[in-house]
Amino acid sequence: MNRRFWYGVLALALVLSLGWGWNEYRQSAKFQQAAENRNQHAFRDLASQLDQLETVLAKGQVASTAKQKVLYLSQAGSHSEAAMKDIAQIPAEEAGLSYVGQFVNQVGDFSRNAAQKVAVGTNLTSEEEKTLADVHGQVQTMNRQVQELLVRVDTENLAWTDKPKTILQRLSLGKPQIAEASAEGQDVQPTSVRAGLDQLNASLQKLPPFSYTGEFASRSVAEPLGLPKQEVNKDQSLEAANDFLSKVGLSGVNLEFAGVSSGPMGGYLWKQGDISLTVSKQGGKVIEFWNQRTLQERTLTADQGKSKALSTLKNLGWTLVPTSVEDYGGYIRLEVIQEQDKVRCYPDKIRLTVALDDGSITAYDSTPYWAYHHPRNLTPKITVDEAKKKLRSGFQIKETGLAVIPVLGNREVLAYEFRGMYQNEEYLVYVNAENGLEEKIQRIIHTPRGEYLQ
Amino acid sequence: MTRKKLWVGGLTLILALVLSGVAYGALGDRLLSRGSNGPEVTELQKRLVQLGYPISPLNGKYGSKTQAAVRKFQQDHGLKVDGLAGPETISELKRLTRESTTATGKPVGPKNVDVNLLARTVSAEARGEPYEGQVAVAAVILNRMKDPAYPKTVADIVYQPKAFSSVDDGQINKAPTASAVKAAHEAVNGSDPTHGALFFFNPAKTSNKYIWSRPQILQIGNHIFTR
Repeated sequence: MNRRFWYGVLALALVLSLGWGWNEYRQSAKFQQAAENRNQHAFRDLASQLDQLETVLAKGQVASTAKQKVLYLSQAGSHSEAAMKDIAQIPAEEAGLSYVGQFVNQVGDFSRNAAQKVAVGTNLTSEEEKTLADVHGQVQTMNRQVQELLVRVDTENLAWTDKPKTILQRLSLGKPQIAEASAEGQDVQPTSVRAGLDQLNASLQKLPPFSYTGEFASRSVAEPLGLPKQEVNKDQSLEAANDFLSKVGLSGVNLEFAGVSSGPMGGYLWKQGDISLTVSKQGGKVIEFWNQRTLQERTLTADQGKSKALSTLKNLGWTLVPTSVEDYGGYIRLEVIQEQDKVRCYPDKIRLTVALDDGSITAYDSTPYWAYHHPRNLTPKITVDEAKKKLRSGFQIKETGLAVIPVLGNREVLAYEFRGMYQNEEYLVYVNAENGLEEKIQRIIHTPRGEYLQ
Repeated sequence: MTRKKLWVGGLTLILALVLSGVAYGALGDRLLSRGSNGPEVTELQKRLVQLGYPISPLNGKYGSKTQAAVRKFQQDHGLKVDGLAGPETISELKRLTRESTTATGKPVGPKNVDVNLLARTVSAEARGEPYEGQVAVAAVILNRMKDPAYPKTVADIVYQPKAFSSVDDGQINKAPTASAVKAAHEAVNGSDPTHGALFFFNPAKTSNKYIWSRPQILQIGNHIFTR
């Protein structure tokens, strides 16, 4: 009887675990299928987008009217964006810096810039026409290879990534081998979709790079234009840090050296408790300051906090004007800029946070100011009335001024700034003060914290 | 018990439940404190979670977790720290979770989609790091958006396969901390303590040759930031 009972229990346990296993197996098969479908979706869409990109680039070359050219070139921009999204979804063994992605991005960037140029009424130079043709040729090559890869996915059931080969690797005790040969650009048959894309990287890198100016042409950290040229040593940087601290109301802090940072804005790091500072090697300026102290009960309004911070800034030797204030509750975030001959220089900016318990500065970031500040020639070539004519009818102007604004491709331009309303929405419209082109439109949104430009 | 009695009892119960529902007002009608419960408490909890003060589960009960979250919220927002959700605390909470509007007051949604995902990533990748290090992690994602080799939206970068370990293990789906939310706002406003870093890693945990080969910019807390 007893033995029978236990057999029964065992049999029941077996049946239950079989059922459980079967259920789990079906679940995981379902998830795998869903993942597989997503991957297929991304890869096939990539192939399709590249194909369309190639086609519109061809049409963009032959189009003779500006309108047609703008149409095809902007389509090229959207197709490359979509292709980029697909590339970002295809599985990879490692976080990939993919050259394919970079290439597709730059093609899109180039096309959008060209489209914009044609749209405002300038013709492409013969050099740009030649770059367009080169770009098209390179996209053609890439498109062929991706389609070839698609054929192999269809016929050979190519895996998405190279499977780990050894047992150790499968137990994830070792790193999977990346297709080294393909990285070196040898002609071997890739064994997975990712390896195929990696191989594409190598063959693309053999092609001559195309040059253009655009948003993503190159990502180089700009030389700081505003920092004084001479270098300072560690002791001098400590002096600068202490001077800064005493002026923001924190004297007697015993700062400790916390290392150096490198790069164009590199500097000496100083720390003590909640306080940290970076003093630039070049010029010995306090670039950043953070004070992560606990906030006390709020005693000031946002406006009072702002004026306290402005007088602290004056102590530090700054005469800057505030542009925006955001109220986060216990503290405000404030941005101040340089104003030269009544022209607002938006690139020369300092960002602050100000605690509303005592109005002291809790964060200070002068990176933009030191990176971009330089003597500027601020004489407009067109008058404000000429600029006003460039605005659309029905735009009600509330404020007018001159400003230096940053625009695509790390440039800045002198522009007339018009703040006004159009159909119940508020905008900032910038008209280039040299050539009258509409440079930039920003929409003003009121968030719970304050005004926000979109 | 007779059938009639059962009916009467049942109806009374239903009526009591309905009435108790009606008795609860909107958030802000009364002072909420330890022991309060009802839909207004759930509303309070939701808004706290939204701003980075995680409470789980959202059960409509003002217990010790909710009280701790309220205290933390008050501390961070310059309010009197008493753990009670009074008029000032609630109006500040409502202000910060309100929808954004156009100049003429038309609501356009909170407009913080990217900040939210950034905050989650920061919270999952850099919890326990110094605040400056949290801003730096958010800045890395924003720097990638400006780099030609990366996709152009926050979501595309964060969910790129194998880009962030916190996506693989699901940490990213947890509600972000208040300091992560603050750091995300800071980075979106343009702060970048790394001055252009594209990667960060924990030197104690990474043997990846590629990432060690990148030019290093600086170390903040446990993370080295590289170009």
